[in-house]
Amino acid sequence: MKQQEFMYSGLGERLKKEWKIYLAALIFIIIADSIGQIKIPLGPGTLILFPIFYSIFLGILSGPQILKIFKKPEVKAASKLVIVCICPFIAKLGINAGASIETVISAGPALLLQEFGNLGTIFLSLPIALLLGLKREAVGACHSINRETNLALMQDVFGPDSPEARGSLSIYIIGGMVGTIFFGFMATVIASTGLFHPYSLGMASGVGAGIMMATATATLSEMFPAMADQIGALASASETISGIDGIYMALFVGIPLCNWLYGKLEPKLGPIHDKLAGKGKGEK
Amino acid sequence: MRYIEWAVMFLVAGVGIALANFVGFQVNFMDSVPGILILLAISFVSVVISKLVPFKLPVIAYCSLIGLLVASPLCPAREFVIEAAGKINFTAPLTMVGAYAGISISDQLKEFAKQGWKMLLIAALVMIGTFTCSAIIAQIVLSLTHVI
Repeated sequence: MKQQEFMYSGLGERLKKEWKIYLAALIFIIIADSIGQIKIPLGPGTLILFPIFYSIFLGILSGPQILKIFKKPEVKAASKLVIVCICPFIAKLGINAGASIETVISAGPALLLQEFGNLGTIFLSLPIALLLGLKREAVGACHSINRETNLALMQDVFGPDSPEARGSLSIYIIGGMVGTIFFGFMATVIASTGLFHPYSLGMASGVGAGIMMATATATLSEMFPAMADQIGALASASETISGIDGIYMALFVGIPLCNWLYGKLEPKLGPIHDKLAGKGKGEK
Repeated sequence: MRYIEWAVMFLVAGVGIALANFVGFQVNFMDSVPGILILLAISFVSVVISKLVPFKLPVIAYCSLIGLLVASPLCPAREFVIEAAGKINFTAPLTMVGAYAGISISDQLKEFAKQGWKMLLIAALVMIGTFTCSAIIAQIVLSLTHVI
């Protein structure tokens, strides 16, 4: 974490300003974990609803735009608390990885190389973004999975008001709202194709977004209970590596690759979009 | 955050994990305590290391590495660590993460509603692409190295 000025004068002030958030979180836990898991078959995959989804939902509900239980300062405070809670979870995953250390070591080369897969999304998403008529926003949107570090990186490299940073922010917001639930569901759909070994899927879950990795891993563990330990171990190892290399991957490979591909494709795909948009019903 | 703030926040998180483990999985508070203390200790040590070490890595990277270390055959307390942590259900720590995360994005709801279908589609593609490409490479390398 970056060195920064303290938000509060001390522990007392923090507790006084934040106790409502802790209390709400504990109440959300009681509600969410009482509901428990719900499995909904959906097309080729299974939508597995975990308590985390209900607590996210309750959190959003309680915020300044709906129930107004929490106002802006508490929203800001809560975002700092996420990391506190994710630490013990990652420690738990680390222990799982240590317990299955043989699997992690034997998968070493695959673990390192699959990191480059996180860049693969550029070849899928950028051309389609250009076909849809996006311009430089596409570079920000498509260069990575756009979690906190990427958002900061885009603002740093291109400036906070740049189209690239706006594109990055869009994906960040969408990822926060629906990414967690989508990522888990997507993992079951891709798993149901039968093309991939559960180990590969476990590694693929570590994309540098802890909360998404968590739901993908939890979902995959439900699908392959016999290999749950190994899946968790590999996901955690992959997530750790992504957490370390993610920002460098984006800076030195992701952004240049996006820029290069943009230069190649935009002149070709841009006009196609204009033609389609001109013919079809008017778009905004 | 000061160390004392981290410590107290971690304790609150510990209460949350114990509560989720009890409500969701009927594990008694007392049975959860050793595992939770281990997880919190690892987390706290990670925070201390991340503040002391000049080379900046995310705190969670240390959490994961230390967790791996204390559960690896290098650690004499390995069996105890694995058994204690095993009492904590995998998804139990997550409910509280969700609660905080939900509150922290609650002021973005209007922004979210403003995002058009194009951005939604691209977000979906970005996630699918990242996951699938990693899975493809992992599958190929695992096959080549005869792990699977």
